[in-house]
Amino acid sequence: MNEDIFSIERFIAGDAEGFEILVRKYQNRTLNIVYSLIGQDRENEDIVQEVFLKVYHSLGSFRQNCQFSTWLYRITVNTTYDFLRKRKNLVNDEIAIEKSISSNDGPVEVLVKKEKKTMLEKALANIPLEYRTALVLKDIEGFDYKQIAEILCCRIGTVASKISRARQFLRGELLRLEEYLK
Amino acid sequence: MKECERVKKLLSRYLDEEITGIDAAFVKQHLDICNICNKEYLEFLKVKQLMLKKERKSLPEDYLISLLKEKITSRQYAEENISWLTGLSNLSRRLIPIPIAAIVLSVVFLIVVSGQKITAYSLDEHILSGSQTTTGMALGVILGTQN
Repeated sequence: MNEDIFSIERFIAGDAEGFEILVRKYQNRTLNIVYSLIGQDRENEDIVQEVFLKVYHSLGSFRQNCQFSTWLYRITVNTTYDFLRKRKNLVNDEIAIEKSISSNDGPVEVLVKKEKKTMLEKALANIPLEYRTALVLKDIEGFDYKQIAEILCCRIGTVASKISRARQFLRGELLRLEEYLK
Repeated sequence: MKECERVKKLLSRYLDEEITGIDAAFVKQHLDICNICNKEYLEFLKVKQLMLKKERKSLPEDYLISLLKEKITSRQYAEENISWLTGLSNLSRRLIPIPIAAIVLSVVFLIVVSGQKITAYSLDEHILSGSQTTTGMALGVILGTQN
């Protein structure tokens, strides 16, 4: 955390290297949050760029009443939500799953689709976004409930409830997909 | 059954080690004796383990920085252009009323002056006559067209 503050102070003092250190340190975690929230998308990198541009322009006014990472991930989640809201031609993930499974696939393709990684992505895409976000921050990024509550600006109890609901959804989705592929 | 409902509420927190003490002990004890809740716990655990194995993406170290530099430079350039254009527009907005006001005043002045009768008699005669001094007369005196 102190390293982050030091980098921020360097940037505010006019040293661009301070910002570059922060980008190098957090770019992959930011990318993975975006990727986990919206799935594989050619615009993943654009969203990450947008996140860091926002950081660049508002780093000077960053108030150190929370960790830099918490602030960054809050921007990441909000920017991803904005992207999803703006995307007009959003393909309904559920329809996409049905289409991909019900087409005339041979046994090899079905086996490929049984791959857990793909199944998990599809199942994740079907969880309501607010539950998915909490689960991604917990299970993929490894934050504790307190940190997630700070990122999502809600109470710890709400985080617990969202994660629990997400797991119930995910378990149901995985069972459904497994049944479908049998 | 009430115990099961309480455990279901705490199960996710228990899995994430977000509860301790009495609550954690209660869940642990219940899972040992309740097959239904234990099954749910194991399924939650499976989901969590699956999430942990999720593929992670990474970017080449300086790839994003070079993209950001390009964007920051182009945005700054665009902002400079916008501010230059905005300044010019503000200046023109401020300057435009000046010639308009000058034209309006000139027209008004010409109308007033042309409406007044200018007679060619001396200023002394005018003062002696006790008549009112018109703008035309005053201007004539100033410009020297009248004596």
